Amino acid sequence: MDSVIRILRRFVGSTILVSLLLLLFNLVLLGLLIFKEHHQMPSPEAVVQKISNGLDQEQGSYSITPEAMQLLDTNQAWAMLLSSDGRVLWSERLPEEIPRSYDVTDVAKFSRYYLMGYPVFVWEHKDGLLVLGYPENSFGKYRFDFLTEWLRSLPVRILLLLVCNVALALLVSVLIGTRVVRGIKPLIHGIHTLSKGEPVQVETKGIFNDLSQSINSTSRMLQEKNDALHARDFARSNWIAGISHDIRTPLSMILGYASELEEQPELSSEQKQQAAIIRRQGERLRSLVNDLNLVSMLEYEMQPLHLKSIRLSVLARQVVSDFLNNGLDERYIISLHVGDESLMVTGDERLLYRAITNLVQNSIRHNPGGCEIGLSTGEADGSNQIVVCDNGKGIPKDELADLILLPYTSGRIGPTRQGHGLGLPMVARIAKAHQGELILESDMGEGLKAVLKFPSS
Amino acid sequence: MDAIKNKKILIIDDEPEIREMIERFLRKEGFFRIYTASNFADALAVCRLEKPDAAILDVMLPDGDGFSLLSSLRSFSDMPVLFLSARGEDEDRLLGLGLGADDYMVKPFLPRELILRLMAILKRVYASHTIERLPVFTLGQKTVDLESAVVLGANQGLPLTAKEHSILIKLYENQGRIVTSDALCQAVWGDESFGYENTLMVHVRRIREKIEKDPSNPVFLLTVRGLGYKLMTQESR
Repeated sequence: MDSVIRILRRFVGSTILVSLLLLLFNLVLLGLLIFKEHHQMPSPEAVVQKISNGLDQEQGSYSITPEAMQLLDTNQAWAMLLSSDGRVLWSERLPEEIPRSYDVTDVAKFSRYYLMGYPVFVWEHKDGLLVLGYPENSFGKYRFDFLTEWLRSLPVRILLLLVCNVALALLVSVLIGTRVVRGIKPLIHGIHTLSKGEPVQVETKGIFNDLSQSINSTSRMLQEKNDALHARDFARSNWIAGISHDIRTPLSMILGYASELEEQPELSSEQKQQAAIIRRQGERLRSLVNDLNLVSMLEYEMQPLHLKSIRLSVLARQVVSDFLNNGLDERYIISLHVGDESLMVTGDERLLYRAITNLVQNSIRHNPGGCEIGLSTGEADGSNQIVVCDNGKGIPKDELADLILLPYTSGRIGPTRQGHGLGLPMVARIAKAHQGELILESDMGEGLKAVLKFPSS
Repeated sequence: MDAIKNKKILIIDDEPEIREMIERFLRKEGFFRIYTASNFADALAVCRLEKPDAAILDVMLPDGDGFSLLSSLRSFSDMPVLFLSARGEDEDRLLGLGLGADDYMVKPFLPRELILRLMAILKRVYASHTIERLPVFTLGQKTVDLESAVVLGANQGLPLTAKEHSILIKLYENQGRIVTSDALCQAVWGDESFGYENTLMVHVRRIREKIEKDPSNPVFLLTVRGLGYKLMTQESR
């Protein structure tokens, strides 16, 4: 939803920016195109001023400079100089119908508007008032009166105008933006859902229908691939489960009759020993089949987990006690150090028990000469962990990564030495099934340290 | 004992070799009234006709599964049933036991274990008409009578409190083996027993005062440091 709001914000921002730019541009254009007068001639005010400057009195008569005369000609204008009592002192090209004397009222009238239809402009001359008359209908004269109050509040009004503009732009952009976003929202939602790997069906109407169709077909493709992968994993896991099931009946016979032979009083002790070997190997095969099945179930995430809260210390004590109760060889010394009694993990008790047992079993199996095995529980880096370490012969550092690979995985170097090689891979997978991990630290002669990390719960 | 060997045992399994093998082991053990069935329908018929005293039942049958067979059996018979399955998954185990099976074993199995478990079931069901009594055992000079919850010394009897009694029962059931303090706490105080370790120590101390000659140097009820306790009886030493 963040992205939707982001899109809307960007959209609104850019719309406001565009409208402001447009407004500015319009103002500039207004100045350039509208308020610039188009004729090349100087303005009437300038003309009347020049003429007034060019009019001089010499020996009782007025004369005008040729430049001023020229100006009058080009503007087809007439001019007269009124004395302070309203008489015409001097005139040039003065039309017939124009009166030759004026009173104050006349002057006030024509200086504002027109003199008999002629637009006139006045300028103060040192001998009176110079009046310049343009041809009829060549100029429009308008009067503007403003209240000072109004003038003072003008900037505020202009600001208000701008604000209104911005508000309008905002409103329009939000309206349009929400419409667009409404079109995009299902698509965004679809893509987000897609990234979670869930099936998506987006409405294929609207302007983005081709995009919607792409999303739908991508979703379909992903689902098909997922289904195929699941089906394959399921088949593999089932295949192993099937084999392990089918092996059990013949194995029952082997174990059953071998153990019967072992107890036959009439057999020689050598024959009994051979029967015992058959039985023991049968038992090995049994544990291999069981482990293989469990590892494959874990690998394909089909092992059901019976989750509950378990105290790590309880589990560790149980493992150590069971090893001691089941007659741990004297060559091995096992000890337990509990850091915090109350550390809990959420997990499947049997699987976690199995994982810790496997780690201890691993230390025993790889150090036939005996070693000290230490278990400890504790908390580190925000995870609850149980550590199994020994002071045995250790494993070369570069082989550590191979230990948690399944045997015969491509990439796992060398044959598995002791055991069936499923022990540590099983521990790693049990850890993974609990959102935890197995970390192995070792080197030649340094013993092995196995850390089972679980998220604290 | 012979009364148990007299019992009729029904073996239901679709594999003839397995049936044959179990039958052979049972006969060797002294059972002689043994019936076999290879499928659901036969098994039901034999049960109705012969009314066996116990059944060893395979989960996978050609015409149905052992679980529904057990349900059908339960409608007219209370005989004990031991499941023998090639499926070791927890679900199956729990389902079987939940349906009222008396035990559950996973193939491949050792015949001795099967016989032992079957005998245990038979004993429990048919030989326990006498009231089950809690054990009485001796520790050195003293006798611990769990049935009456007293420790009998040379000249006096010391009663055991309820907690001490349950601790001793749990320890006696696992004599010679380490019982973790967690398991003891659970046996006495139930599932929510975290934090009772110190109380447990107090109770153990009191038991020692009753059963040991020198409670500070116990020889019967031993502490296994960091793990729990162990009861050493005459037999387990």
